[in-house]
Amino acid sequence: MSSTFILVLVAVGAYLAAHVAFGWLAKRFLIVSGAEYLLLGVLLGPQVTGLISASVFSGFAPFLTLALGWIGTLVGAQFYLPSLLRYRAPVYRIAFFEAAATFVVMAGAMTLLFGWLFEMPLERALSPAVVLGAIATASSPAGIGLVAQRVGAGAIVRQLQMTTAIDALVAVTAFGLLLSIDHPAPAGTPRPPTATEWAVISVGIGVVGGTLFHLFLGEERKIDRLFISLAGAIILASGAAAYMRLSPLLPAMLIGAILINTSGNRQEIAQVLVSVERPIYFVLLIFAGAAWQPSDRAWILPVIIYLLVRIATKTGAAYLGAWANGALPALGPHWGRALWGQGGLAIAIALNYLQHEYSVLANVIFTAALVSVLLTDVMSARVAESVVRSARERLGIQIPGAYAATSSASPEEAE
Amino acid sequence: MRRVLILALLFGGMRLVVPLGSQGQGSQALLSFGFLILGAYTVGEIAKAVRLPKIVGYLAAGVIFGPYGLEVLSAAGAGRLAPISQLAIALIAYMAGAELRFQEIRERGVLLLKMTGTELLVTFAALFGVLYGFQAYVPFLQGAPEAQVLAFALLFAAIAIVHSPAVTLALLSETGARGPVARTTLGIVLLSDIAVVLFFSVALAVARALSPPTGATAAPSLGSVVWEIGGAVLVGAVLGGGVALYLRYVRRELMFFAVLVAFFGLEIARFAHVELLLTLLTAGFVTENLSREGEGIELLHAMERSAAPIFVVFFALSGAKIQVTQVVALAWIVVPIAIVRAGAIWAGTQLGAWWAGAGEPERRYAWMGLISQAGVAIGLASIVAEAYPEQGALLSTLLLSLVAINETVGPILFRRGLVASNEAPAGEPVPATAASAAPPTTLLDR
Repeated sequence: MSSTFILVLVAVGAYLAAHVAFGWLAKRFLIVSGAEYLLLGVLLGPQVTGLISASVFSGFAPFLTLALGWIGTLVGAQFYLPSLLRYRAPVYRIAFFEAAATFVVMAGAMTLLFGWLFEMPLERALSPAVVLGAIATASSPAGIGLVAQRVGAGAIVRQLQMTTAIDALVAVTAFGLLLSIDHPAPAGTPRPPTATEWAVISVGIGVVGGTLFHLFLGEERKIDRLFISLAGAIILASGAAAYMRLSPLLPAMLIGAILINTSGNRQEIAQVLVSVERPIYFVLLIFAGAAWQPSDRAWILPVIIYLLVRIATKTGAAYLGAWANGALPALGPHWGRALWGQGGLAIAIALNYLQHEYSVLANVIFTAALVSVLLTDVMSARVAESVVRSARERLGIQIPGAYAATSSASPEEAE
Repeated sequence: MRRVLILALLFGGMRLVVPLGSQGQGSQALLSFGFLILGAYTVGEIAKAVRLPKIVGYLAAGVIFGPYGLEVLSAAGAGRLAPISQLAIALIAYMAGAELRFQEIRERGVLLLKMTGTELLVTFAALFGVLYGFQAYVPFLQGAPEAQVLAFALLFAAIAIVHSPAVTLALLSETGARGPVARTTLGIVLLSDIAVVLFFSVALAVARALSPPTGATAAPSLGSVVWEIGGAVLVGAVLGGGVALYLRYVRRELMFFAVLVAFFGLEIARFAHVELLLTLLTAGFVTENLSREGEGIELLHAMERSAAPIFVVFFALSGAKIQVTQVVALAWIVVPIAIVRAGAIWAGTQLGAWWAGAGEPERRYAWMGLISQAGVAIGLASIVAEAYPEQGALLSTLLLSLVAINETVGPILFRRGLVASNEAPAGEPVPATAASAAPPTTLLDR
C-alpha cells in the first residue's frame, strides 16, 4: 500500500478526530490547538510507524520552505509602526530585556553544556547553542491571544502581546544572522561571500523583495488576487533564501514588515496572511513531528536543561525587566510565566536548522524544541490566564469568571 | 507596465543569485515556482488588458519562462512541479463535479448525451479520415504498413477528440457565465471526458492488436478498464459522501480541508487504480448534491481560493511544455488538422443540437467551448509515446503541437462564444459562483 496514501488516510482521520476533540478541549479547558498535530507527525514519522518516509519528506521540502516563509511574513506583519508608536517606551524596554536576556543566557548555558557534554570546542558548540537561544526566545502568542479573546485587552495582555512580538523579532533575527555567519562556501565560486556579505544578502532579499513586492501588489484590494501575488512573492523570497542556504524566516519577516507598513491595502494583506496561517501551521507541525529522530548522542540531559533554563530565564528576565522599569505592581512578579508557551515559530526555527546538512547537533536541538512545544503549548493559555487573573485581582479589578463569556468593554482598560 | 518592470528586475535578481545557490531541498524549484506565479499573474493581467482570457496569458507565461524560452523554469524544475499539476487536475475535477446538479442532469441528461455522442463521433470520423487519407504527408505514416497506419490514425483521432475540462471551468469562472451555452458546454466536456477515457482504452487495445509495439507493456484488460471507470464512480461517491458528512458535522478549516480532499482523492485514485478525473468529479457531484444548501458552496469557495495559485502555475506549466519551434515546424500539417477538427466539432454539435432539440444559443455557440485541449490530451499523448517507444514519440509531437494550437485558440474562441450569446460581459468579468450573493471568489479572475 502506498505510504503516501496511508499518510493521507491517517492524516484525514486524525485531522477529524483531533479537530473535534481539541475543539472541545479548547472550549472547555482553554487548550491551544497545535500539539496534537506535532504528536500525529511523530506517530507517522520513521521513528514510530514510518508512514512518512524520507522520500515523502524530501518531496515536501519546498512546501516546508514556503511554510517557513509564510510564518516569517506573519511575524513581520505584526510590526505596523503607527500601532507600535502607541506603546510607551517601558513596554519595549521590558520586552527587549526579556528577549535579549533569554537569548544570551540560554546561548551561554548551552555553549558550556554542549562543550562539556559532547567534548567539543566552545566555538563549535556556539552555533547550536545560539540556535537554541533563538528557539528559547520565541514565545507562542496563541495562548495569550485566546486569553485576550476571553477577558479582553488590558495593560498586561498588551505587554504580553508586545513581548511575544519582540521575542519573535529577536529569535528570527538571531537565527537568520547565525545562518549567514555560519555559512558554507558555495561550490564553484571564485570568491565565496564573507559572513557580512551573506548577512547583507539575507537582509537584502527581504528589503529589496519587500520593496519590489510592495510595488508589484500596488493597491490591489481583491483578496483572491492578492492571495495569488502574495503567495508568489513569499514563495519566491523563501525559495531564494533557501536556495542560498539562508533562513527564509528573516527575509520573509522583513517583507511582511515592509508590506504592512507601506501598503494602503495592509488590512487585506493581513487578512490573506492570516487566512492561510492555520493550515500552513498544521502541516508544518505534522512534518516537524515526522522529521524528528532521537539523536545518536545523549539528548535527554540537554533537553531537560533547556527546559529548565528556559523556564527560569523567561520568568527571571521578565521579573527583572518589570522591576527595572517599575512595572512589577502592574504586571506582577510571575508575569513571565505567560511567556513559557512555545509554538509554530520555535518549530519553524528548529526545522529550518534541521534542513541544513551541515548543522551541528541538529537532532538534539530539534528534540528540545519539539518537547518544549508539546509540554508548553497545551498549558500556555491556562498559564497566561492565571497570570492575567492574578494581575487583575491584585489591582482590584473585577474580572469575568475563568470560562465566562467576555463582555465587549474590558474593565482592565481603566488601567 | 509597472509589474513587467518589476518582473524584469526579479528576473535579473534571480540570475544574480543562481551562482550562489545549492541544488538541494528543491529550493530552486521553489524559486522557479514563485517566479512563475508572479510571471503568469502579470502576463495574465496583460492578456486581460488586451481582452484575451487570462488563461492565454498564463500559457504564454509558461512559453516565455519555460525550458524553451527564458529557462527560468528548467525541464527538471518543471518535473519537480508535476505534483502541483496533478493536484490542480484533482481540484478542477472536483470543482467541475460540484458544478453539476442532479436536477439538471435529470432535465438535460438526454440532450447532453445526444450532443456529446454526435459531436465525438463526427469529430473522430473526420480526424481519422484526415490522417488516413493524407498518410503520405504525415512524417511517421509515410510508407508504413496498412495496419500501422490504421492503428496510429485510430490513436491520433481518439486523443484529438479530447476537450479540456480545466480550460472550460476556468473560463466559466473567469467570465461568470452560467447560461445555457455555458452549462451545455460544461456538460458536454465533462461527459466526453468520461467517454474518452473509455474510448481511448479501447482504441489503444485495438491499436496494439493491429500493430503490436516492440518491447512495450501489455495492454490493459477489459476488466481493468471497467474497474477504472466503475471503480472511479464508486470511490468518488464514497469520498463525496465523506466530505458531505464533514461539512455537516465539522465544517472547519475549509481551506486546509479543500486541499486535503483533492490530495486524498488523488492518492486514493492512484491506490485503487481508478480514473482520477472521474473519481474527483463524482466526489464533487455527490458532495454538492448531498450537502445542505450553502455547505457545498462554502467548500467550493474555500477550494477556489486555495487552488488559485495552483491553477495559475498549472496553466503556466502547460504552456511550458509547448515547444514553439516544433509547433512552427509542423504548422503546415497541424494547422489544417486543427481546422478540420474545429469544423468537425462545429458540424457534430449542429447535428447533435438538431437531434436533441437544443435551443438556438446552444446550437450556435456551444461548439466554441469544445475547441480547447490541455492536460488530459497531453497525458494521453504521453501514454501513446510510452506504449510505442519509436513512432509514438512522433505521434506525440504531432498531438502536442495540435494541443498547443487548440490550447491557445480555444479559450479565445470560447470567450467570444459566451460574449456573443450574452452569457458573459465583453469587459470586466463578474463573480462566478452559483451563489451570487457570495463574496467575489471567481476561480481565475484574480
